[in-house]
Amino acid sequence: MLEFSNVSFSYDGSSLVGQINNITLSILKGQVVLICGESGCGKTTLTRLINGLIPNYYEGNLTGIVSVDGEKISEKALYEIAPIVGSVFQNPRSQFFAVDTNSELAFGCENLGWPEEKIKERMEQIVSEFHIESLMNRSIFALSGGEKQKIACASVAMLNPDVLVLDEPSSNLDLKSIRELGEVIRIWKDQGKTIIISEHRLSYLMDLADRVLYMQNGKITKDLSLEEFQKIPKEELSRMGLRSLTPITFQNHRSTKGMTDEQIVLSNYCFSYGKRTALQIDQISIPKGSIVGIIGSNGAGKTTLARCLCGLEKKASGEVLINGKSYTGKKRLNLCYMVMQNPSHQLFTEDVLDEVLLSMDDNEESQSIAEEILKNLNLDTWSERHPMSLSGGQQQRVAIAGAVASGREIMIFDEPTSGLDFRHMEEVADVLAKLQDMGKTLFIITHDPELIERCCDYFLFIENGTVKWCDGWNEETEEKLSSFFDQTHIRSIFYT
Amino acid sequence: MNWEVLSSQIKRKGVRLDPRTKLFLLITISILVVGGEVSGMMIVIKPLTALIPFLLLFTIGKWKQALSFTALFAVLFLSEMFILPSMGKSGFLLLFFCGLFGRLLPGVVMGYYTVSTTTVSEFIAAMERMHLTPKLIIPLAVMFRFFPTVMEEYHDIGDAMRMRGIRLGGKKTSKMLEYRFIPMMICSVKIGEELSAASLTRGLGAPIKRTNICEVGFYKIDLFLILFCILMLGLNLLRAAGVF
Repeated sequence: MLEFSNVSFSYDGSSLVGQINNITLSILKGQVVLICGESGCGKTTLTRLINGLIPNYYEGNLTGIVSVDGEKISEKALYEIAPIVGSVFQNPRSQFFAVDTNSELAFGCENLGWPEEKIKERMEQIVSEFHIESLMNRSIFALSGGEKQKIACASVAMLNPDVLVLDEPSSNLDLKSIRELGEVIRIWKDQGKTIIISEHRLSYLMDLADRVLYMQNGKITKDLSLEEFQKIPKEELSRMGLRSLTPITFQNHRSTKGMTDEQIVLSNYCFSYGKRTALQIDQISIPKGSIVGIIGSNGAGKTTLARCLCGLEKKASGEVLINGKSYTGKKRLNLCYMVMQNPSHQLFTEDVLDEVLLSMDDNEESQSIAEEILKNLNLDTWSERHPMSLSGGQQQRVAIAGAVASGREIMIFDEPTSGLDFRHMEEVADVLAKLQDMGKTLFIITHDPELIERCCDYFLFIENGTVKWCDGWNEETEEKLSSFFDQTHIRSIFYT
Repeated sequence: MNWEVLSSQIKRKGVRLDPRTKLFLLITISILVVGGEVSGMMIVIKPLTALIPFLLLFTIGKWKQALSFTALFAVLFLSEMFILPSMGKSGFLLLFFCGLFGRLLPGVVMGYYTVSTTTVSEFIAAMERMHLTPKLIIPLAVMFRFFPTVMEEYHDIGDAMRMRGIRLGGKKTSKMLEYRFIPMMICSVKIGEELSAASLTRGLGAPIKRTNICEVGFYKIDLFLILFCILMLGLNLLRAAGVF
């Protein structure tokens, strides 16, 4: 049994984000507990208290007692906690120690000095339990995000801990991988493990969780059984800042607006990595001024299309036609602008205003135009701040401000809402709508059905490097989208 | 993709060397091929030693590179030996090429072979066999893991710069270095922090003797290569001592 008694914690430094106030809580063995709430409510802090990273790694002011089966976590060293509590983290890029899958699985056991024979036995058992035979003996860098997350789960399971803590494990995954993640959690649940999951994406956990904790400002304000939680009406959930619990049906999609008769034509896109053709598009045309959702599974070629469109792939062929004017090769670098998934990669200067000015030619008016743009995106209060000191959402808006300032016609967004709660997702949708009002054409790579319902009005569905279909909203589109985003057929996909 | 270099695919087929053998080869090549003049006994020692990394490239299936590197080395080595002495001062450029590429090439190839065929676990296992302190082994092992990840970030940042028109001859050319490295440093700190947190929750740093499922050990081929290196180093010593 996992117990919190009167636990409070605040991180060093003045920031109130993520602090926890006087939490008392007990979680029974074998329970699957979902922790939800808006960003910064203290979800992650709670998980860190369970796996011992607080107070062993993250410093701050801790009072109260966290214990597992009567043993105090805060008094143990991390290596003593490792066999009791296993952790899976959000970012698949940074939670591996080894570079090959076999060593990664063995890593935890090796650290604790298990004999070689026992490690190998355990490894065989785990590999067949998780059905990861095809992933063994591989370089971790060659795995997809979903495969990485599966290896992360399997590595944690090697030590056979009784408690598992998952901190937003689905943030970087596509739908198929999320289903598989759900299946891994199912395996653990069947083994009677205690599982604590902090998560924004809720629908895949609806047939797994037993109990839901809703956090607000460092406190647990709702402690519900799954049945009670599922009875909360959708409007109330949105007010609480939570995502939808049921698959989206797309029937309440927004009405199409802002589109003109003008078309943007993309023709002759062809690109290959070595011998593998990654993209093959003959011709598609898109209404100018629309928000185009680029959808499809991971590895289908969505990002490749975006990179080719921007002119970032030097070897790619292809052409963009706007109003009969053709843009090829390098010219597209000045036509399109991509807002990356991690916006801190594309912010370079020392304050927010400079960041916007960097995108413009120097002249007398540029200063006032830049200020205007910042005001439009609600960034004017931050204009003196260093971009890297802002939150992820604010950084994203700064990147967008840079794009607006550069006067590009086409903007591409790579997963703008991955790992965001409802409120932040809505903010992004609002910004996108604003850009559309300015007459920009937007392409959005996304796995987020709620964002699609809220703001897209045209779709490109990519499969195996080709466009399977492209269309605006109509009944057929609604049906195709909802069957793509439906998460009910979990098992069949996991075992293929 | 560039970071493939460090990602260490596991190859069960072909020649597998012990990481210690690879390190010893690296050191030998650095001593024998990089320095010294081309005369006397060195005419034999240098090319023989330089040939090893090229042969090793063959064993990991990079035969195209192996052949072209061998040819390149042969041309550079022969021109350093025969053409350079007769050219006088005008041979400056040639000297530059032969000196820089001819002498560094074998070492670089050996380094490439070492990092691209050694997995982190093999490396740790071998270092532990040499009874080095964990204080040295763990940071080195983390570097193996850290570089490919940071390389991914590096490419993303490069793309972003091109998109914003920051390039040679474009905007802000003078600030290119700053713009490239500041975001990278910030990302690296973040990745490093997350990496450490993740490995600590899995028991890294426990005061328990670590085990390792990785089998490292010396085989015939290791012995052969080590003996060869000792022979070459010995010959070089004798030459330096003036025996030849």
